[in-house]
Amino acid sequence: MFHYRNQRIVLIIVILVIVGILAIYSASEVWADMKYGDSLYYVKRQSLFAIVGFIGMFLVSYMDIRRVVQYRKVLFFLCVVAMVLVLIPGIGIARNGSRSWFGIGSFLVQPSEFMKLSLIVYVAGELGSGKRYRRLLDYWKIIIASGVSFLLIMLQPDFGSGVVMCSAIVVMVIASGIDMKYFVYLLVVAGIGMVFLIVSAPYRLARITSFLDPFSDPLGSGFQTIQALFAIAPGGLFGLGFGESMQKHFYLPEPQTDFIFAILAEEMGFIGCMILILLFMVLLSEGMKIVRRCENSVLGYIAIGIIALFMIQVIINLGVVVNLFPITGVTLPFISYGGSSLVLMMGSMGILMAVSLRDH
Amino acid sequence: MYTRIKRKRLVVIEVCGYILFGAILGKLLYSQSFKQAELLEGAIDLWERSFPIAGERGMIVDRDLEVLAMDLPSSSLMVVPSQIENKEETARFLSGVLEADYETILTKISARVSTQKLNPEGRLLDSKTQKQISDQNLKGVYLVRDAKRYYPKYSFLSQVLGFTGIDNQGLSGLELAYDSVLSGKSGSLNIPFDALGNKIDLLEESWESSGKGNVLMLTISATIQEIMEREMDNVMLEYSPKQAWAIAMDPRNGEILAMVSKPDFDPNHYQEYDPSIYNHNLPIYNSYEPGSTFKVITFAMALNERVIDMEKDTYMDRGYEMVNGARIKSWKAGGHGLQTFLEVLQNSSNPGFVEISRRLGTDTLYNYVMDFGFGAKTGVDLVGESKGIMFAKERMTALETATTAFGQGISLTALQLVRAVSATVNGGYLYEPYITKAILHPTTMDVLYEREPTLVRQVISEETSQKMRYALEHVVALGGGKSAYMEGYKVGGKTGTAQKVKGGGYAENAYILSFIGVAPIDDPKIVVYIAVDEPQSTIQYGGTIVAPIAKRILEDVLPYLQVEKASEQVPKAYAWNDKRSYVVPSYIGKSVKEISSKHHTFVYDGEGSRVISQLPSAGTKLEEGMRVWLWLGEDEVE
Repeated sequence: MFHYRNQRIVLIIVILVIVGILAIYSASEVWADMKYGDSLYYVKRQSLFAIVGFIGMFLVSYMDIRRVVQYRKVLFFLCVVAMVLVLIPGIGIARNGSRSWFGIGSFLVQPSEFMKLSLIVYVAGELGSGKRYRRLLDYWKIIIASGVSFLLIMLQPDFGSGVVMCSAIVVMVIASGIDMKYFVYLLVVAGIGMVFLIVSAPYRLARITSFLDPFSDPLGSGFQTIQALFAIAPGGLFGLGFGESMQKHFYLPEPQTDFIFAILAEEMGFIGCMILILLFMVLLSEGMKIVRRCENSVLGYIAIGIIALFMIQVIINLGVVVNLFPITGVTLPFISYGGSSLVLMMGSMGILMAVSLRDH
Repeated sequence: MYTRIKRKRLVVIEVCGYILFGAILGKLLYSQSFKQAELLEGAIDLWERSFPIAGERGMIVDRDLEVLAMDLPSSSLMVVPSQIENKEETARFLSGVLEADYETILTKISARVSTQKLNPEGRLLDSKTQKQISDQNLKGVYLVRDAKRYYPKYSFLSQVLGFTGIDNQGLSGLELAYDSVLSGKSGSLNIPFDALGNKIDLLEESWESSGKGNVLMLTISATIQEIMEREMDNVMLEYSPKQAWAIAMDPRNGEILAMVSKPDFDPNHYQEYDPSIYNHNLPIYNSYEPGSTFKVITFAMALNERVIDMEKDTYMDRGYEMVNGARIKSWKAGGHGLQTFLEVLQNSSNPGFVEISRRLGTDTLYNYVMDFGFGAKTGVDLVGESKGIMFAKERMTALETATTAFGQGISLTALQLVRAVSATVNGGYLYEPYITKAILHPTTMDVLYEREPTLVRQVISEETSQKMRYALEHVVALGGGKSAYMEGYKVGGKTGTAQKVKGGGYAENAYILSFIGVAPIDDPKIVVYIAVDEPQSTIQYGGTIVAPIAKRILEDVLPYLQVEKASEQVPKAYAWNDKRSYVVPSYIGKSVKEISSKHHTFVYDGEGSRVISQLPSAGTKLEEGMRVWLWLGEDEVE
């Protein structure tokens, strides 16, 4: 089975995936029954993906990751091509206003998930290539690769994935020891960029104002936030009990996706949520241990990139659900329903494990 | 040289991660504990649909706790449109049971609302309809508690009580004025639903109990009110006047004992009446020239200012008096001749009051009129009060002063007059009239609030007031109020005959006849005022029809008020057609054969040969021709 070094991390992942399947069962039960006449519709599919993901994770964990690093440019180029193709109507499939999917049989695959991973591998390869990284200009390849990737993701558009991906790259760059003054500049540029994005699509501004006072537009931009709060608060410290959520009864639309944590908070209460968050924190700590053990800094960068990608998505999702951040459409890794996302997340955890086996 | 991962940076990155997780936990705890109650309330509002349950409206009772208005529990229909599976079938059934239009019902039960009252078709259903509906067990159709206002005495005190609307909200009268006191907090039945409108049983149905409104206790005495209602109904039947109204007030504190306004209405079915009937509480709404009843007020001013000595000073009534070129005539052609001022009042001599007005002067008269509370609302706790019309002081010449003195040219409400007359006989104290005696707790009947009499001011002295009682007793015994004279009860009063004003002048043969009476006059307990507007087929003079009504009212009211009969009173001056009264001797113990009387007839009751009881009792004065009831028995009377 899994290498003894990885067994602890595998255990945490398995627990998280099982928690996820249970949460999906409870959250989606009535929704699935209404939509498909089968209350187990989402649970069945998620379980199937979990098995596929588990096998994938197992296989990837024994892969020689150094080979992959060698082909990083080709992989990155293939991903860019896929990202361009997915934008073409007829090839790419649109869901919820974003053209982000390829259809393979009855399943949907998001090329942006691969794009994120290949960008991390590419950036890790560059950072660990032996070149000197001191001044901002030294980072030009990374900046261009990230910019192209972000642009392609935003063309779909998928703001959430774009933010998560760029944040992960930023974490890698910070780890590389870049002079922090550049981040002050970056913040200024990001600020200007935000203003530009808001001007170009006013619904983003609505999302931000609704985040500050969701009750100002209870039926519009504040709707999901309010519905999430109306799930979280009644949960109290100990929750209403498994299966007892009121909000999943069509008050919170698609409760098995982005806002699944709200239903979890309603049913399991603060204590249940705290246990889940502690699991994520242990995973963070285990991941960072792998990073620290890495002698080969390319692999270390890959590890920190993957951990950052994962943890930033977790934090953004939870932050959105508890109304700490404005609404950004990202799922909760391992917990939210979503096949390709689960398989890719488990695959990336496999990469992390592969790193831990080749760290000398 | 490799660009190695910086260990310090890793620590910072990891710690940042933990801090962010911590912040999320903090926000979660904030929402789930500190903010929980507030958000939970919002969530429950979202999940539950409320079915309002009407609160129980408080009763209105008289001063002896007799119920004048109460709630009858009932049920109303409420529908949740999203739960009704077959709208057409449900609408067909409901329209059949409720005898309502099918299309209307279908529209209502198809509305895109969470809950819908079927108003008015489904309101206040009778028990048979309720059973038919509950037996059908229709989805999305509910029966909720509702209440219907019921006035057990029908038109009794109707304009004062007012009525309530379909949601039991006060719409007029006391029901409106005291709506907040009477209305009970409405409750609700809260049923949890999912966002698609299906009932779900994850949450318990919750019940917010409805409250009870407080009980309003009036100063009204149902007994006195009933007596006055009866007499006023008789007036309406006998003389077909346009309107008639009456008030009884306790002069000692301003409590309104009875208030009648005819024509009246049944508040249980107020919709069937003309709004002018139920909206106008005539004793406080109608403002009109009082006529001679106002002379009581002028007379009190004159006595208090000592401009006349009513028994010594005299006035020569030659039939008219000229004021500013206007000729003010006495109602009696040629005048009443030489009279004391007491006789001026008894005879209701207008020229005599012109003289009084001259002696008082405009300023003094005006100030007294204001002090007696005319030209301003009395402040009674009823809705729809008028304030009457008084001349502006600067526009009053001797003519206006003179006409005011005998009750013309000014306009006032019955209530204003009653409380002013009360002040002339109660020692001079002007009270704020009121009708709410107390507010009681709905279940324990504990007194939550009790109204104290409100003294506005003393207008005349105790001594003047005493003279006024003397004067008013003489008016009834010897003057224009003779028809109100009662053997054994000392009554004071004054009649009034006011020609109605129409289009700037006086209308021909259109009068408001009135009488104000005070009893017992040496310790007044009740002031009664009666006004009849344009009685038909009768001589239009206050003394002829209104004073006898007052007499009949007082005959019944005074025993109820436990007023002792007086041993001495001013004897009545008999006219040739007046009936005399004779003392009834004691017949007790006498045998039937011994009984005879020149003045009275007899009615016998019971078996036996001897009288064991009689009514009225020995010593009572009884009018000629009236009947004495005698009860017979065999027993010897000890």
